[in-house]
Amino acid sequence: MAEKCISCGSCGMPMEKPEDFALGDVTQPYCSYCTDARGKLLPYEQVLDINARTYEQSQGITPEAAKRLARDLLADMPAWREHHQ
Amino acid sequence: MQAVTRQEQKIATRGRLVNAAMTLFARNGIAETTTADIAKAIRMSHGNVFVHFPTRDDLVIAVIDEFGRRLAVEFRQGLEDDLGLRAVLRAHLKVLAEFEPFYSRLVIEAPMLPPKVRSTLLMLHASVSYRLFAALERERKLGRARKIERPLLFNTWIGLVHHYLVNRDMFANGGSVIAEHGETLVQHFMTLVKS
Repeated sequence: MAEKCISCGSCGMPMEKPEDFALGDVTQPYCSYCTDARGKLLPYEQVLDINARTYEQSQGITPEAAKRLARDLLADMPAWREHHQ
Repeated sequence: MQAVTRQEQKIATRGRLVNAAMTLFARNGIAETTTADIAKAIRMSHGNVFVHFPTRDDLVIAVIDEFGRRLAVEFRQGLEDDLGLRAVLRAHLKVLAEFEPFYSRLVIEAPMLPPKVRSTLLMLHASVSYRLFAALERERKLGRARKIERPLLFNTWIGLVHHYLVNRDMFANGGSVIAEHGETLVQHFMTLVKS
């Protein structure tokens, strides 16, 4: 429990290796999946779609339910709190 | 220097809260355990809990995240040693065994828990699904496994494991159902995917 766990401020993915971080830079707050080639955070709808697809493809969850799950997952993330208020 | 000490204390307190929460969630149920119960268990003022975790759900998610972190470490170590599907299954079970009482409760209560807890658990499943499928594909290239769609591969495995966990009092005499039956489940699953 003592180890520090850094997670993406957009989707919550644990970031452990440099390649997990945007631009491979461990000081970046977001993961490589939630950012573009310049390290900029992707628009909300795009991050929502990426996460919804992850639910769908991994467990066969319906697109509608996957979208709901993705929305619930992102709701409290630092990057999207304002978006949900 | 003092700031570092304060930060270390904060991390230690957070760890104590997560450990206490995991124990009480496992013993009394997730929905039934209150933040007051958790504070009392470690002799902390109730208000102090919210300094670290604004809501009870955040505490539940912190325990799930701890499980996910352990899983990531185990998968990474396993992948360095062995790229096989069997190793991935065993790594998954090893971490499940460590969290077994809590995780079993989580699986039982998941459909009734708040949406953000459920979405966190299912995202953790997604990472296991990814590892399983990647390992299966490696086995397929070696001619040792048949083609199985990713969702069904994962759902078959997790359905099997969850059945034993949810009914652990029926499959193990008070001990760990994973310790008792885990290897049998791995062998069975390997037989199912064999080409």
